[in-house]
Amino acid sequence: MSVPAEREPATSAPVPALEVRGLVKHYPGVKALDGVDLVVHQHEVLGLAGENGAGKSTLLKALVGLVTPDAGEIYVRGEPVKLRSVVEAADHGIGMVFQEQSLVPNLTAAENILLGSEGGAVRRGVYRWDVMRRLAQEQLDKIGSKIDPLARTDSLSFADRQMVEIAKVLRIEQRSQHPPVIILDEPTSVLESKEIDTLFAQIRRLREFASVVFVSHRLDEVLDVCDRVTVLRGGQSVGEVATAGAVPRELHRMMIGSTGSDDHYHSNAATPVGAAEPRLSVRGLSGASFRDVDLDVAAGEVVAIVGVHGSGREDVCRALFGIEPTTAGEIRMDGKRISLPNTRAACAAGIGYVPAERKTEGMVGPMSVAENMTLTKQKARCAGPFVAPAKQAGLVDRWIERLSIRTPTRDTPIQRLSGGNQQKVVLARWLVAGDIRLLLLDHPTRGLDIGARSEVYRLMRELAASGVATVLLADSLEEAIGMADRILVMNDGRVVTEVACPNGGKPSPLDLVKEMV
Amino acid sequence: MSTPVAVTPVAEPATAKSGPRRAQRITGFMPLIALVALVAALTIADPDFLTQRSLTAVARTAAPLIVLAAGATLIVLCGGIDLSIAALASLSTVLLALWLPDLGGLATPVVIAVAAAIGAVQGVAHVLLRIPSFIVTLGGMSILSAVALVVSGAGTVRVVDDTPVAWLELYLAGYVPMSAATALLVVALIAAVVKATPLHSWISATGYSESAARLAGTPVDLVKIGAFCVSGACAGLAAVMLVSRQFSGGPTMADNLLLPAVAAIVVGGTAITGGHGSLWRSLAGALVVTLLRVGLPIVGVPSAYEQILYGAIIIVAVALTLDWSKVSIIK
Repeated sequence: MSVPAEREPATSAPVPALEVRGLVKHYPGVKALDGVDLVVHQHEVLGLAGENGAGKSTLLKALVGLVTPDAGEIYVRGEPVKLRSVVEAADHGIGMVFQEQSLVPNLTAAENILLGSEGGAVRRGVYRWDVMRRLAQEQLDKIGSKIDPLARTDSLSFADRQMVEIAKVLRIEQRSQHPPVIILDEPTSVLESKEIDTLFAQIRRLREFASVVFVSHRLDEVLDVCDRVTVLRGGQSVGEVATAGAVPRELHRMMIGSTGSDDHYHSNAATPVGAAEPRLSVRGLSGASFRDVDLDVAAGEVVAIVGVHGSGREDVCRALFGIEPTTAGEIRMDGKRISLPNTRAACAAGIGYVPAERKTEGMVGPMSVAENMTLTKQKARCAGPFVAPAKQAGLVDRWIERLSIRTPTRDTPIQRLSGGNQQKVVLARWLVAGDIRLLLLDHPTRGLDIGARSEVYRLMRELAASGVATVLLADSLEEAIGMADRILVMNDGRVVTEVACPNGGKPSPLDLVKEMV
Repeated sequence: MSTPVAVTPVAEPATAKSGPRRAQRITGFMPLIALVALVAALTIADPDFLTQRSLTAVARTAAPLIVLAAGATLIVLCGGIDLSIAALASLSTVLLALWLPDLGGLATPVVIAVAAAIGAVQGVAHVLLRIPSFIVTLGGMSILSAVALVVSGAGTVRVVDDTPVAWLELYLAGYVPMSAATALLVVALIAAVVKATPLHSWISATGYSESAARLAGTPVDLVKIGAFCVSGACAGLAAVMLVSRQFSGGPTMADNLLLPAVAAIVVGGTAITGGHGSLWRSLAGALVVTLLRVGLPIVGVPSAYEQILYGAIIIVAVALTLDWSKVSIIK
């Protein structure tokens, strides 16, 4: 509504199937989308690339009506549209195959494909199985899949279930009389390479009667299957590349920006050398999604673990905090063997954990800053069994000042703070007692803006300098390289290589990417 | 370091949500407003209502309900529910009536301890077997009711010599019924202990966000088992109060207190989803429910309508207090 003049429908070329102009979406403390532009031509496979936090998922959600943008326009075949729900998006011919599959496992493939758009398959409220089977078969034929429509969904392989999803999404053709736009959000992250080949063949077929938006972390895949790639960074479209002749290196440079690593978060603290015993020593740790992981972290050292989605690094991190069960291996802290059956044991051993999901796992939103900060180390605010209000006030105010946490008062509910300040409170939780020996940071800067990020970096540096050992799962390779003294690369549940990362001798992101994929 | 940092007004829009939700502000005063309105309405309907005699009667009637609701509130604050409290109280009345002749004065603490243990067992089942508290206590309700029938021989157990529990029928300073004073004391005691110790943080964190509480190293499992244990003990104490009034124990004596107890909790404004609320709110809620109970006959409504009222109250009160942002799928 606010853009009255700019209404010229694209260009002389055929009208794009989908066009996004200047899309903006704010979340508290962070701009997820900052004026994104995107064009999807008809019968095209468009790749969408970007690091975590580049705004990919927010953009996709806006396209299927799960997120309402604050500003900007979405055009479908030249017509401006407002997408308020998945159903409205489907009415305009936009459908998405979600990263987490959305099929009902105990129904047949046919029922799932027709779920919500039964059409002629239901008469007077009763399923007509013959019609249903025929309609479902038509959908499956369209994508050339050989799945039995009457097979139960939970008996199908993951790749086949993905086919069912695609067949289901294609039903939106029935709603609009135009070729649909199908969005595939990281469809390959859990597929074997053979299954990926099958999927790619399907995607190329889809092009004949639909437009496809393909999202993946893996640049080689994006280049392989797409006609064109749009790169997002910091909530903006930073470039467009025709995939013919393009190389991953070029894309990657666009994704991470011009420089390798900004020096504002360079680790400047001298790495302590030659400590007799590492603070944390892990040998042969195995669990459901990782095997034979060896890991040493010295006091004062920052070790980053990098790897693509599904590499198992998150689970290693959670295992070190007693959340994820382990099947083999030993963990030693300062030479002493410890077992971590639960989070209490980990806390008692001087281990702290900052979860990736700050809002649901890191903090208790309605509780005050003071209560959140002292949640773990209750002794720090108690005299005997009782909470000592004066002691608590002094302690909390000291840390608010020390970490420059911006909050109206210490009794303000933490959910009213900005993301960066929330994260500082969550970090402070482990520091108030002064007994922290190992910090596990799972994406500590996720969803934070630049200013808040650099404050978290500064804090991490100070903690390392004071002798805390840190395991970092960074939000981006850039961050891992900037912060870490050493980097472990994980792939498919194993540590594949270790890269020294000293000041003045930092590896380039591309060296790491080579090992990750 | 020594310079005190003035907390400057935040330049950027640092706040994610604006203040407490309006519904929460309203529910904060809801029980008190309802209480005053009810007293006023009943006084208008029957000017004799505001006398010492009928107020004492209300207090005595309310006492077991207050205690029951207070205990169950702890579980609701942790994000669970206890449907077995009334059946457990019924069983406890039977046990007390049976044991009074042999144990005398000891029977009271023994029954309360047994009830606490039964509560704790349900808590352990909930935590270790990872079964929703709703299911555990629904099963527990059925089991405890049946046990009460069996041990009582499916009949009322008369108490011949009630001296060990007669103290609850005394009046403090001549006016305040001892049972009501005890109920008040229990609420004050539990509320004070929770408030003054880390328990408050632990219970709130568990109720608001169990996963966050667990990841912060909070003893979530122990807190929950403890809540069930205290809830059981409260059911035991409520049973002692009932026996002292009725001079008998019965296998279904307290069964009709379940709905009023849940109503008291939600009318008080404690969120059924956990975290938000307090025992004091449940005290106010229990008084509201009791006034309704006592008041319906005064305004000429047959007591058969009582259950309709409880059902409606629970639904409306939950609708007002439910934190929709936390519940995406209603089951």
